[in-house]
Amino acid sequence: MALDAATAPETPLADERPAIVLRAVTKRFPGMDHLAVDALSLEIPRGSIVALIGPSGCGKTTTLRMINRLIEPTSGSIEIEGEDVTRMPATELRRGIGYVIQQVGLFPHRTVSQNIATVPRTLGWEKARIRARIDELVELVGLDPAMLGRYPDELSGGQQQRVGVARALAADPPVLLMDEPFGAVDPIVRGRLQDELISLQRRVHKTIVIVTHDIDEAIKLADRVALLNVGGIVEQYAPPDEILAAPASEFVEQFVGDDRSSKRLTLARVADLPFSQGPVVDAGATLEEARAAMEAHRTDWVGLVDDGAFLGWVDGRELGPGDAPFDRPRERPAAQVHPESTLREAMEIIMTSSTSVAVIDDGGGFGGVVTLEGIRAALAEGVPERVA
Amino acid sequence: MISLLPLQTSEPLIRWNYIGDQWDDIQRKLIDHIELTLISVALGLILSTTLAAIALRYHWTSGPITTISAVIYTIPSVALFGILVPYTGLSKTPAVIALTGYTFLVLVTAIISGFRSVPRAVREAADGMGLSARRRVMSVELPLALPYIMTGIRVATVTTVGLVTVASIIGQGGLGDLILDGLRRTYWTPMIVGAVLSVALALVLDLGLWLLGRAITPWARRARVR
Amino acid sequence: MNVVFPAQAAVPRDIGLWEWFSRGNTWTGEGGILSSAVDTITLCAAVMAVSVVIAVPLAALLAHHRRGEISATWTLNIGRAIPTFAIAGLLVPISLTNGYGFEPWPISIALLMLALPPIFLTTYTAVRHTDPGAIDAARAMGFTERDVLVRVELALAVGLILSGIRVAAVAVVATEPIRAFLGGDGLGRYVRDGLGQNNDTLKIGGAILVAGLAALTGLALGAVERYGLPAGARHLRQVQDTRTGETR
Repeated sequence: MALDAATAPETPLADERPAIVLRAVTKRFPGMDHLAVDALSLEIPRGSIVALIGPSGCGKTTTLRMINRLIEPTSGSIEIEGEDVTRMPATELRRGIGYVIQQVGLFPHRTVSQNIATVPRTLGWEKARIRARIDELVELVGLDPAMLGRYPDELSGGQQQRVGVARALAADPPVLLMDEPFGAVDPIVRGRLQDELISLQRRVHKTIVIVTHDIDEAIKLADRVALLNVGGIVEQYAPPDEILAAPASEFVEQFVGDDRSSKRLTLARVADLPFSQGPVVDAGATLEEARAAMEAHRTDWVGLVDDGAFLGWVDGRELGPGDAPFDRPRERPAAQVHPESTLREAMEIIMTSSTSVAVIDDGGGFGGVVTLEGIRAALAEGVPERVA
Repeated sequence: MISLLPLQTSEPLIRWNYIGDQWDDIQRKLIDHIELTLISVALGLILSTTLAAIALRYHWTSGPITTISAVIYTIPSVALFGILVPYTGLSKTPAVIALTGYTFLVLVTAIISGFRSVPRAVREAADGMGLSARRRVMSVELPLALPYIMTGIRVATVTTVGLVTVASIIGQGGLGDLILDGLRRTYWTPMIVGAVLSVALALVLDLGLWLLGRAITPWARRARVR
Repeated sequence: MNVVFPAQAAVPRDIGLWEWFSRGNTWTGEGGILSSAVDTITLCAAVMAVSVVIAVPLAALLAHHRRGEISATWTLNIGRAIPTFAIAGLLVPISLTNGYGFEPWPISIALLMLALPPIFLTTYTAVRHTDPGAIDAARAMGFTERDVLVRVELALAVGLILSGIRVAAVAVVATEPIRAFLGGDGLGRYVRDGLGQNNDTLKIGGAILVAGLAALTGLALGAVERYGLPAGARHLRQVQDTRTGETR
């Protein structure tokens, strides 16, 4: 399942127009002699997450804020769903776009539910509809309903961010703009919020533009990454794996960092890999059968499976003549991995486990074995694109 | 005799010869005014420094000290003069007592804020360099607290100038005496002279102290405390 | 021309404080405490109303548009420095010369000048320093500029504005007694009469009345600040109190 790296990222699928189109968008701030954004053209496919990333001064935040006209472009045009954004009053435009920022910007004098209800109330929804929507959103963003009557300062950073996302999605806008949304929380919470954004997107399929300075975040979240250089110059606009596997320029290479291959491993799931059986035998196997398996795979270890359930690894060197493998002390498979785990995680386990292979445990059942060789082969062929 | 409060008066606003004739008296009043202001502010500063030092050293006292100062400040000047006079008689004493008391709130708050504004890192660095506590306070913390303190002195001084004019009701008002006096005699010139000079004095002192403050704290120019 | 101020109610010099207060006509008689109090309260309320109407919208607008900070600060500093008694004293002859009498203009204008600075300053500062994240989010949600000012900046500033109003009101009530010395009446008259007649009871009693009203004003408005705010603003106050722990 190698990725066809030749797929041009700008070519929209035949029946889907891009949700957002920027054409030669330029911004010059008064009093500055250089352009903040210089004739940027970008097409953002519907229902995808696009990350804008680049060094300071690359204009990523400026570009984002031009989409909802918090900043007005000096020239060029921006279209959302085929309509020029300047055609309607800015305030009306913004009510149809969700916006999440790093500091969240919750209204401290309003409760969580009042915050979330802000745009629906402005749009004149009836109370019942708003209440229903809030219940929906709370479930969607993973917020404890008990928080609804609290004030923002009573919430943790992660909870506040969730409220921010709920508030942005309240009126169900097709487009969501996010400006470093997870920058203000600690790494553990950030990882969790990122995961939740991914699963949320699976359910709501919004068009999301996210600005970030963290390349790992961009790779993890985005379907396409636009790497910008100073002045809004697009250095590369492609799916994350392509940027990692085939950086378009030295700038991209340097920005992405030396550990490109290792980063690519985070993009694929174990489930995407072809599995091998590995040195595994049935629990009732004889010593000879166990030995044969070990020899075939050139390992010292043999795994035992009993009726689909994985029992553990047995050290072959401890198997003396006449021993039944089943009776030997087993090492519980610490070296196991879930089909949904990334290759990076599998790699970690392989590196640290003495068995040097990782066993896949699919809901308790044995699915196969992942080896270093298998991972290396996958990298060479191209990591498959993540299913949206 | 007669008429109760007239609505109209024929007395001109200013008779210029008054100013020439009474110049000595005017001067006298001005000096009295300045004297009373300075005495009260100086006394207030000394006492406030003591109070602030206590509040900074013993944190639990800062609440009560500030509250009491605030309560004193809320007492209307007319009331304070009214209450003190029966006990002290009509003299400078009740004026000084009241005026000094009124400076507490501003000065104590200013001094406390000033010293609290010194970043902990600076204090630790000073200690780390082996400065004695006294040295540290005098040569490190005090200069850094100065902008707040100078602003406090400025506000206290200007407020006191205004309160001195009210002290004219017990005969200690400096330029305020001219105002009341003129009122009694329906002679407007001293009223206007007294009023204008009071305002001028306040503004001059405000400006002067502001300039002084900026002069002695050149590093605080950017982050000015107003 | 000589002017005689209204007959000051002659009070026997040796009357005790308690006795004076417990006499019925001290309160209700002509020039009694109740009518004087009403007189004072009416004037102060009027001055406060006008100053709020002028200062709050002006300060809010200037702060929202990030304009006029320098000139506003300067004007207010000067206003703060100017002695109220002097202004009132200055305005009395001007008022009389133009046929407006002793009251109410001189004292009202002087008190107005006293009230405007704190109200303006607190409003301006509060609006000016609203959390920029909240403002950005509000704009991004399609709030008009007017919405941002009213529903976000002012809503968040309500507690602080009220505290500024309280400070101004207490100052106004505390300074109003000077009126009695400039041809007017109000609660300050008793101290005036006491000083004029050398009557200690009047001096002390009058002082108590005047101070009492000032304290009452502070407490009443403090109660409004604490209990009279809408839920969101009240919550914010609690947060601010615990966070700063400083005395205002």
